[in-house]
Amino acid sequence: MKSVIRSFSSVKLAIVLLIIITIASVLGTFIPQQRSPAEYVSRYGQMANILIKLEFTTLYRSHWFISLLILFGINIIVCTLTRFSQKVKRAFSPQLKKKEKEILVLKTKEKVRKKCDSTKIKDVLKKEFSSKHYHLREEEKENRTYILARKKILGLFGADIVHIGILIILAGGIVSGLGGFRKNLSFSEGEISAVPKANFKLRLDKFETEYYPNGSVRDWKSTLTIIENENPKITKIIEVNKPLSYKGFVFYQSSCGWDWKNSILEILVRKRSDPAFIKEIRTKLGEKVSLEEENIQISVLHFIPDFVVNEKNEMFSRSLQPNNPAAFLEGWHENEKIFSGWIFARFPDISRIHSEKETDLHFELKDFKANQFSVIQATKDPGVNFIWLGSVIVMIGLFLAFYWPTREIRMILEESNGGTEIIAGGIAAKNPEALQSDFKEMMSSIRRTN
Amino acid sequence: MNESVLFLTTFFLYIISTFFYFVFILAKKDNLARIGFKFALAGLLTHTVALFLRTFESGHAPFTNMYESLSFLAWGSILAYILIERKYNSRNAGPYFMLIIIALMALASSPLMPKEAMPLVPALQSYWLWLHVSVTLIGEAFFAVAFIISIMYLVADARERQGKIEKLGLSSDKLDFISYKCIAVGFPLFTLGGLIFGMIWAYKAWGRYWSWDPKETWSLITWFVFAIYLHTRIVMGWKGRRSAFIAIIGFLAALFTYFGVNYLLAGLHSYT
Repeated sequence: MKSVIRSFSSVKLAIVLLIIITIASVLGTFIPQQRSPAEYVSRYGQMANILIKLEFTTLYRSHWFISLLILFGINIIVCTLTRFSQKVKRAFSPQLKKKEKEILVLKTKEKVRKKCDSTKIKDVLKKEFSSKHYHLREEEKENRTYILARKKILGLFGADIVHIGILIILAGGIVSGLGGFRKNLSFSEGEISAVPKANFKLRLDKFETEYYPNGSVRDWKSTLTIIENENPKITKIIEVNKPLSYKGFVFYQSSCGWDWKNSILEILVRKRSDPAFIKEIRTKLGEKVSLEEENIQISVLHFIPDFVVNEKNEMFSRSLQPNNPAAFLEGWHENEKIFSGWIFARFPDISRIHSEKETDLHFELKDFKANQFSVIQATKDPGVNFIWLGSVIVMIGLFLAFYWPTREIRMILEESNGGTEIIAGGIAAKNPEALQSDFKEMMSSIRRTN
Repeated sequence: MNESVLFLTTFFLYIISTFFYFVFILAKKDNLARIGFKFALAGLLTHTVALFLRTFESGHAPFTNMYESLSFLAWGSILAYILIERKYNSRNAGPYFMLIIIALMALASSPLMPKEAMPLVPALQSYWLWLHVSVTLIGEAFFAVAFIISIMYLVADARERQGKIEKLGLSSDKLDFISYKCIAVGFPLFTLGGLIFGMIWAYKAWGRYWSWDPKETWSLITWFVFAIYLHTRIVMGWKGRRSAFIAIIGFLAALFTYFGVNYLLAGLHSYT
């Protein structure tokens, strides 16, 4: 057991773990994560199976990566604990009686002899140290006085505080991973939807897209109302970067789209032989509409908002934006299909109607309407407060570690033969220059004493 | 005066500064370095005005596309360098550091970088844009100074091993120390701006504070490398060459986070 603790308390282990975690993280950015097996096969060939088995394709949530993080967490805990008690002792009940040797090994040190008694020197020291904001401790034993003067003692704990903050962040990550959830909810205006795992509902009152003068999107705004026990509680307009929080849930403007499957299409029918003939029909996808005069039934089977054709002659929608709307329609005469093909809203002249028989009819996609829906991400993340708390603690720790360097000066005043011998030494691992200048000033004020 | 004229003026001042720094290295005359420093300072001034104008003209933070953020990084790096030179008298690093600035400015002015200010996409409309990007880039600027100083350390160290002593230059010990000090400033800034502010903003905009998006992951990788630097140095007592190598790797990781991720790895942070 002891050897286990010892190996976990080693900084070497921490560094080895850090290096492994770093390399793993790098790998995860070069192997695309969470794609379909087929994509991995086309990318890596036979290696794909091995990568999937070793969880390299879901690396950051793989068993081995999480285990590494947990090991790292344990390592930090053990390292901090094993050093902490020593540090607390050093900070709050330090040993004053040091041997002369221990002081004289320090980098900054001096030994002087004065012909006055030690009380006089002590008075000078007290005044000088307090003017420099040092905290003074002293202990007398026989003819010796031991003095320990320190400032910015909290700096000793900087690194430990950073580590505590990191542990809290890691804990927050675990809590988020286990207890958090997020789900996208799609709403049309006026629609009410239950929020999973919550005892309230959400209603979208209004949705609007704001545009810049150049046509690009400026913002999406959804007016949301929380409904609890059939009563509206809060109404708030949310937008990107301005979510709504309620009872531990947060609702984000995630994206938006059009409900193209339920579009209402307006189609103009003309006759080539008769320019005066014009008829407008309104229809939904899949519905059949009769053109009585012609004894023809037509129906729209597909609607594509952003029509493109690839090299393989496959038709699909490049985006959900209505950039190149196209409808596929069929015309039937009794039980016989007489024509079918694509018509385009942007290009009324280029209709691609293939007909078995010659047809006199010409179709134009005049207008299309679909309800816009707003996609709201509902999130519950109980870990998030740990993250903020941990972050604040990390920053406090970093500040103390780098900008609050502890300075420590020790002295032994020894009275003998009517004079006093002063042995002094100082240490400040993180700010040796400041310590040296303090130390020099102290020593010169001692020398001036008589 | 408009922003692009000021930008060119700044570029010009930096070039003159670089020139003086190099002549200083060759002629070994201190006052030439002082002239170089003054031109860098003048450049910083016009650069600051240019950034203000850019903000004023575009109505948003001056780091929303590659041109702007390169310019801001150059500004932050000059600022970091000027502070370090004043504090540690590191003027020998001047010429090499100015080369980085020239590279950043040249890249920013290249025709590949679209310069017109575009309206902000919804995700970027937040005051966290200011906090997250500016603090991160200034942290990275200090890593850049540490990078140059570390390379100089390796050169000085190799020379000292051959028994040569730099007359005018900085001793390898001092370079090692300055490099550590740069990281001591850069690391807390990078932690705050890159990771913590990044998490807060991600939570506000996307609903999750951490997504293992390539840019996030690479920021963390950069942070890990500097954490390794600090632990090996403070706890295990590493100094000198090994520390210099880690500092160099750390800056390269930061550079990859900044550039490489945008062009090589797709993700949530693809704003170029």
